[in-house]
Parts: sequence; structure tokens; C-alpha cells
Amino acid sequence: MSVSTVIFIVVFIAAVTLFFSSCFNRFRMVALGKPDNRFKEIGRRIWNMLYYPFSQRCTISRSYRFGINHALLFWSFMLLLIANTEFLLHGLAPDAIAFSKLPSGAYHALAMIFDIVSILVLVSIVAAVVRRFFFPPKFIEARSRDAFIILGLIATLMIAFFFTHGAEIAQGEDAAVAAAASYMPISNFIGTSILGGLSTGGAETVGHFFWWIHAIALLGFLNYLPYSKHMHILTSIPNCFFRSIDKVVTQPREEFKKGNVYGAERVDQLTWKDLFDSYSCTECGRCSDNCPAANTGKALQPRLLIHDIKLNLLKNGPLLVKKGEPAQPLIGEQHGGSVSEQVLWDCTTCGACMEVCPVFIEHVPKIVKMRRHLVEMKSKFPHELHNFFENIEGRSNPWGIAPEKRASWIQEAGASLFEAGKTEYLFYVGCAGSFDSRSKQVTLATTKVLNAAGVSWGVLGKDELCCGDSLRRLGNEFVFEDMAKKNVKLFQDKGIKKIITQCPHCFSTLKNDYRQYGADIEVLHHTEFINSLIEQGKLKLNGGANLGKVVFHDSCYLGRYNSVYDEPRQAVAAATGKAPAEMDKNKQRAFCCGGGGGRMWLEETVGERIYVARTEQALEQEPDTICTCCPYCMTMFEDGLKDKKAEDKVKVMDLSEIVASALKQG
Amino acid sequence: MDDKKKKIKKPRGVAKLIPGKCIACGARCQTSCPKEGVEMNDKGEPVFNAALCIGCAKCVKVCPSGAIEMFLTEEEKKLLAEWEAQRAAEGGALKAEEGEEAKAANQPKLKEYSGVWVFVEQSDGNAATVAWELLGVGGELAKKLGVELCAIVIGDNVKHLCDEAFSYGASKAYLVDDPVYKNYRTESYYKAVCHLVRKYKPEIVLVGATGLGRDLAGAVATDLLTGLTADCTGLAIDDKGFLMQTRPAFGGNIMATIMTERTRPQMSTVRPHVMPMPSCDKGRKGTVIVEPSPVKENDILVKVLQIIEDSRHGADAIDVSAADVIVSGGRGMLSKENFGILQDLADQLGGVVGCSRAAVEAGYMPVERQVGQTGKTVRPKIYIACAISGAIQHLVGMQDSDVIIAVNRDHHAPIFEVATYGIVGDVFQVIPAITKRLKELKKQKVAC
Repeated sequence: MSVSTVIFIVVFIAAVTLFFSSCFNRFRMVALGKPDNRFKEIGRRIWNMLYYPFSQRCTISRSYRFGINHALLFWSFMLLLIANTEFLLHGLAPDAIAFSKLPSGAYHALAMIFDIVSILVLVSIVAAVVRRFFFPPKFIEARSRDAFIILGLIATLMIAFFFTHGAEIAQGEDAAVAAAASYMPISNFIGTSILGGLSTGGAETVGHFFWWIHAIALLGFLNYLPYSKHMHILTSIPNCFFRSIDKVVTQPREEFKKGNVYGAERVDQLTWKDLFDSYSCTECGRCSDNCPAANTGKALQPRLLIHDIKLNLLKNGPLLVKKGEPAQPLIGEQHGGSVSEQVLWDCTTCGACMEVCPVFIEHVPKIVKMRRHLVEMKSKFPHELHNFFENIEGRSNPWGIAPEKRASWIQEAGASLFEAGKTEYLFYVGCAGSFDSRSKQVTLATTKVLNAAGVSWGVLGKDELCCGDSLRRLGNEFVFEDMAKKNVKLFQDKGIKKIITQCPHCFSTLKNDYRQYGADIEVLHHTEFINSLIEQGKLKLNGGANLGKVVFHDSCYLGRYNSVYDEPRQAVAAATGKAPAEMDKNKQRAFCCGGGGGRMWLEETVGERIYVARTEQALEQEPDTICTCCPYCMTMFEDGLKDKKAEDKVKVMDLSEIVASALKQG
Repeated sequence: MDDKKKKIKKPRGVAKLIPGKCIACGARCQTSCPKEGVEMNDKGEPVFNAALCIGCAKCVKVCPSGAIEMFLTEEEKKLLAEWEAQRAAEGGALKAEEGEEAKAANQPKLKEYSGVWVFVEQSDGNAATVAWELLGVGGELAKKLGVELCAIVIGDNVKHLCDEAFSYGASKAYLVDDPVYKNYRTESYYKAVCHLVRKYKPEIVLVGATGLGRDLAGAVATDLLTGLTADCTGLAIDDKGFLMQTRPAFGGNIMATIMTERTRPQMSTVRPHVMPMPSCDKGRKGTVIVEPSPVKENDILVKVLQIIEDSRHGADAIDVSAADVIVSGGRGMLSKENFGILQDLADQLGGVVGCSRAAVEAGYMPVERQVGQTGKTVRPKIYIACAISGAIQHLVGMQDSDVIIAVNRDHHAPIFEVATYGIVGDVFQVIPAITKRLKELKKQKVAC
């Protein structure tokens, strides 16, 4: 055994030991988190783990064309894993293991694949560097030291690869290598044109030199991984395995018991999956790119939020592992490792971040858990919420109006109450539809449509309670639990099996969140229900709703949360005779109106107003009518149009109003 | 041989709920039960524990809807008939019911308390006018009860306030004058008041519902373990000599009359400008009872280090939520300058100008004046909404105002659904007209 091999074995053992030790330390800290069962439906999980990473379909998407660069890099890396495995084994036992010992057919094929793949990687690296310098993404950290170290290491590996093989070819001693030379275009080029002039001994030295460069770079890179954002190499595939099988549209229940702690103010109060998420972040920034708050100058940037959780874990983890106390608060002054309160309140829970994340990080539940801590443990929240919480708790509506006034629109509409055994559908009006004067008009339009189709429907009247959506998203589980239980009991007592809602928030909450409380009801949003009525021919439309150019706005809780994209559009098409126009940011990439996550009740004081930004996006399409499906969105657009002084030119209409205006008379 | 005549005890039965009659008043029956034998179910109806029931029938008497009756078994009914026969035969005095015994036991305790007291709030030796208003209504209560009206004066160098109290009708003033009371602190003040109450035992204590008053009254009531009714709009004495404390409840949908039956003193707070000012007679005299301070400076952990004067002056210093009259404008005012006509009206009425969010967004008014969901919540006596549509987000900030006057061009505007008085018209005509008429009326008044 040569000296070189002995040294390599020692270096290898040291490097690998160090690597496993680093990994152990890192992942031990993940175990500090609370339990979360991510092993159900193993079959689907394995599929997720194989399909998503290997297809790279999240990186290459409509709005991120440059993702092809990463895809290239990823596939090349996967292939080069084989090459690098051979490399290390060859280093440990040079005489026993080498590709050149394989039958020539196999060897030549592999040699060619690796050579071509390596040059592709190099091109890809150069492209990445060029992008970071000349066309960087919005956030300045794209030019971080971490990023350039990684790019540099990879480039070094590729160059070392070529020069090692080139030197081998230049040496000319190994017949198998010589025969394969023509299958390794770049290595051959290096070997003949650049190193060709060297003597055999010289070529051997150069080869040796670059072999060691490759070895050091490879083992160094391996050990650098756990300390850089490139840890995502180790965690992203497992994160696909652990991703939530259902869409993340709810938050878990609290267990209210004396002595329990609610919400998360320390990293060990988040789940292990939350902590693993922070390790999996590739820092691609797509979440921040699509976040309505980050795009309007707010403190919240989802990428930084996840990063701060990671930094906090790295700082406090070693202390917590030893059963000590954390040194840096998770919620505090915004700086490396702490999340400010303002960041938490900025979130509209629109879910755009989770939609685009290539490794399926779940941003929103972490924010809600930290909000829970502020609301339930510290009673610390923006002052506008004092009134809001009190009103919902006391009068079960956000505006503190006497509950019996909920029924005041009923007489005007000739509506009737839900009768168990007689009425088929409960029309759950929602607070806005009952009290807000503009939304009441939508309620009347909906009732008109339902009556025209001969649907058997009834309302709860003054017994209706708020669904509690905003409460849960703001972190006030105390009151939400109470309301949810009351509502579920009310539905059970009245024998309600099918519900039509007008508001996507009521829709999502009744459909998804209430399942946690034992509700077993079919819940439909009025847009899907109306569309089904049209499809069944129960509504006679004259297709003449003359609304000019109609542009459609996707509500977050309808689209992203519950995948209802096509039905409302089809209904608009049926009512107006043509499909509605689309905004640039639509469907899964739709931009939030700013009302969700309890932000309807809060004021924006920094940056551009979210609702103004979305109104501007709508106005870019030069519409005559903006079609909404949600009372929050409607309020936001109406205000936005007034702010942009366009209320005379453009009007906002709910889908039910559009359909109602197209009903054939008589 | 047993020749003693068997003395029949009057069967009192056990309390029983008459189904369907309970109005879920708020557990008065539970409160009245001396044996804690009443639990409330989810619907707010009582569930009686027959084992604990002594048949005192207090719950029956206190139920506002007559939903409780005393249930006697057939045997008990027979016994009752026998008892009545025996009683008639004996013609003797009724043995006191256990309940009445209990009442009798309580009576001396309650009887120890006498007198109507009013706390005179002061700041730097200046009394808050609400104190004088309370002396007015307190005087009426004292007269009905036939007891004396007293003032509580606590402060540093505040003896002159005792004389002022006498001029408003107090016959006695309890004075605790010491540097420890120079600046208000909860601990010093509530301890002083409690000391006075325990020593002199008033049956009624009234405090003005200002920030200071609310802080003080709650602390005093907690320490004395007595009941406190806040924000009363009415005070009167019933035929049993108890204080009837009336206030709106459930969002103003009902007027609740609250009694403090079992403890003393009966405490209430009343907001400023709810009770009328009594006449001021400088000639009236009274007795000053000087009480040494029960509190030493060393006992109080809170120290006032510095008082920062409110450096804001002028328009910015105005707090809309403290005003009694608010003249508010919306987007329909069309410009910053036009808000001047609202200011004119506000000046005539002694009020302030507020606005809706739309006006703030349009740059007409500063955000401190915003009334609504994301602005301030106000409860003035009069809220005049000018060119405000009345979207729910604005209503939530002012719907509890005593009187709402709306002026709007659009007779469909939702504001008219909550307004006490509505004027469909152009604000630019209506408001200046009102202002002009007010000025005329004031001139006439002066002339008279």
C-alpha cells in the first residue's frame, strides 16, 4: 500500500467521522421539537420522496425559468454520485476498485456520461455566478459568502475531475484508459492539448496533484454541508417524504389543561418537523418572492423567518440538549435568530409561500403557533384586536352588533329558517353577509340565484354564530375552540348535513378546521354550488350580463386552500358569454387581497397597502368589472378602487351578483 | 306513654323549576340560595339539589319570572294541612322560618351601615365636577333614606374641597390630608377609603366613573368584598331601603337593575355628565372629620418619579374618545378645508371633530381622529355623522353613542339604520345652517 493511500485512508476516516458527528449534532437538535406523526400513508410518502426531487418539477415552474439550471445541476449531481463513490473507494483500495476494470462497454459509457455531465455542471456553475452578479434576485443575500463558497467548491471539483482524467490520459500508461480516451471528450482535450507536452512522470505528478485537490474538495465539501445552506442536499429529499399529505390549510388543536403551555416561544415548542423544515430551506427565496407582505415593504419575509428559526435552533440547541435554558428568544428584536412580533402580525396566511416552496416547508403553521404564544400566554397583540376579540367572544360577530340583528335581512329576502328533516341545504351566511351593507347585497343575490334554481335551503337566522376563522389564524384558540364546539353542536342538533357558504373563510373553516371537532358535513362554496346548478341546467341564464370586461380574482382560501379555481370561472363564462380575463398573478400564484389571517381587522402602517397593490394589478388588465368570491376581497377592492380614484370606471361584483344579473326573467 | 303532643314542623318542600318559564336571568336563584344548593345548566336554568334544599324559598321570591315553586309530596301536603290546623288551634306566634332567622342574623349586620358617601376626586387640589354631580344624586338618596350625605376628601392640602362639598349638599366630610396622597396611587387611595369605610360604615359609596374612579372603586370593592356596579345611569332607593343601581346591559338591549343585597357598602360608579349638577349654596356648612392617614409613604411600593406634561398642544392633543360631542366627517366632505364647517359646529356644541378612515386615507384629517374598526372606539353623548356612509367598519367604532345624528345625501346610506335622527340632505347646506341657528339661539339666551 502506498503512502498516498495510507494518508488518504486516514483523511477519509477523519472526514467521515467529522461529517457524521456534525450531522448527529445537527439532527439531535431537531429531536428537541415536539412530536408530529409524519409516517402515515408510507406508500404515498415514498412516492413523494422519489417523484418531486427527481422530476425537479418545483424548481422548473412557470415563473422560474432559470430553475432549469438547478435541475441540470441536480441530475448531474445524482449521476456524479456514482463517479464520486468510485473515486473514494478507489482512493481506499486503488488496485481493487476502478471503473477502468469494468468491461470496456460499460466503462466507456460511464466515462462519457461523467465527462459530459461534468462540463454541464461547470457551465451551470458559471451561469449561476453570472446570474448572481448581473441578474440577481431581489434579495441581497443571493451574493452571500456561503453561496460563492459552494459554487467555488463545485467548480473546483469539476476542474480537478477533468485534470485528473486528462493527466491519466496524458500519462498513457493504462491501456484501458487510453482506449476510453475518445469517450471522454473534455478530459481528452485536457489530456492531449494542455497536458500533452508533459513527460510521463510529470503527467503523473499533475494527476496526483489534481486527484488530491479533488479528494480534499470532496471531503471538505462533505463536511461543509452541515454548516451551510447546502445542507438541503441531505434534508430536501427526506423533507419530501415528511411533507404533509393533505394541503396545509388548518392548524392543530390546543389541549387546554392546567399547566400546559400554549403556542411557541422557544424552538423546542415547535414540532421536530418545523425544525427540520428550517434545515431543509434552500434559501431560494421563492416564498418571499410571492409573499404579499414581503412585496409591499413589510417586515415579514418568509425566507428570513425560516432562516431565523434555524439560527435560533443552532444557537439555543446545544443549550437545550443539555437541558439548559435558551439564550436567545425566538420572538424578540428582529435580528439573526429572533423573529419580531411585527413579522408575525404581517402575515395574511395566504399560503403563497407554501405553494411555491420546492421542499414543502410549512410557513404558516409556524407563524400561527408563535401568534398563539403572544395571544394566549402574553395577551400581547395589536390594539385593534382588543375590540375584535371582545366582540366575537361577547356577541359572536366582529362588529359587536346584537346577535338578533343577524336576521334583519331575512324578511326582505323572503328567506326561511332551516328546518331539520325538511330543508336540504343550510345557507351559512357568515358575519359579513349578515351585517356588512355591501355584503348584504351579495347575500340577496345569492338567495335570488338559489330560489331561481329551486334549491331547498334555509338559514340559521339569529342562531348563526361566527365561524371563528380569524380567531384561529390570529392565534386565539381559547375563543375559537369555544365557537367551533358550539357551531358543531348546533349543526348536529339541527341535523345539518349540507352547507353552502358565501365566504371562502367560512367555507374553509367549516370544511377543514371543524373536522377536528367531529363535524361530518358536506360544505360547498357558493361558487362551486352555483356552477353545479348551471351545469345541471337548473339555472336559466340569458348570457347577457353586460358587465364589459370581467377580470377574475382568486381568493386565497378558495383557490390555494381548497383548489377551487375552475368552477367560478365557468360560472362567469356561463353568465357573461365568455371566460373572464386573468390577472398576471392568478390561480395558484394569485396575490392576496390582504384580508386573511385576521388582517382584515388590522391596519397596515408600513409600505404599500396590500389591497392597493392588488387593485393596481387588476387595473392593469383594464377591466370594467372585477369578479370576487369573498366579502374580504370585495371590501378590499372597493376601497382600493376608491383609493385609485377608479370607482366610477370599474365596479366590483361577487359571482352571485353576476349570475343573478344574468338570470332569465320569468 | 308519650303524652307530649307531637309538634308538627311545617313542611316547606323543596324548590322545583317550572319547565319553560326560566328566562336565564343570570342565576339570581343561585345567588340567593344560602345553602349553595343551586347549580346552573348550559341553558342558564337552575338545577336544584333536593338534599341541600332547606325550603327557605328565597329563590322563589327572587325569580323575576316566577319559574320556581316549592314542591310538596302528597305526604308533605297532608302534613301542611295538619300543621296549619295545629297553628290555628294554638293561635301562637309563628316560629321564625329558618330563612327569616338567617335574615334576622344578617339584619343587624346590614343595619350597622348607614349614610351615603361620595368620593370627591381631585387632581392638584381641583375637584372633578363628577363629584358634585354625585353629591346631587347622593343627596336625594340620603333624603329618601333619612341618613346623612358625606364626602370623602383625600389629598394633600385639600381642606378647601370639604367646604366646596358642603356647598353642594354634603353635611359631613371625611378628610384624609397627607403628602402621601399628593399624587394618585392605587394603593394609598384605596387603603385610605377602605379604612374610612370600615371605621364609619356607610351603606352607599358613590364614585365618579373616570379613569381614576374606575381604578379606585374596583380596588375598594375587592378589598371590602362588596359588590360594585359600574357606569350606572340611574340610582334610586326601593321600598326596603336598598339601592337600585340601573345600567344598560347586553349591548344596550336591556336596562338592568342591580341590587347589592348581602354585603355593604353598596358601591356604584357613574359617568360624568349623566347626573345633573346640584345647586351650589356657598352658605351651607358642615362638619369636617379629620382622619389621620392610615398609610405611610414607606408602605407604598409605587413611587411617582416624574410627571411628564402633555407637550402636545392644539389640535393634536385632542382625544376623540374622551369627547362628549363628536362631529364626524367622511369622504363626502371632499377636502381638508371643508372640515372647517364641522369644526364650527363642534365649537358651538363644545365638541371635537372626528372622521372616518376614508377621510384619513384621503388626507383630510390626521389618523388620531379616526373613528372605527382600526381607529378609536367612541361613546359620546352625541355623534353627528356628516357625509359618512355608515359602513360597518365605521359603525363598530361609534354605535354605542347615546344619540347619533346622521346627515347624508343618500337616503339609502346604512348610517340611517343606526341613527337616532337622520337628515337626508347636503352637508354643505345642513351643517352651516345648524351652526347658524345655534349661534342665534345662544344670542337669544344671553339676551334673556
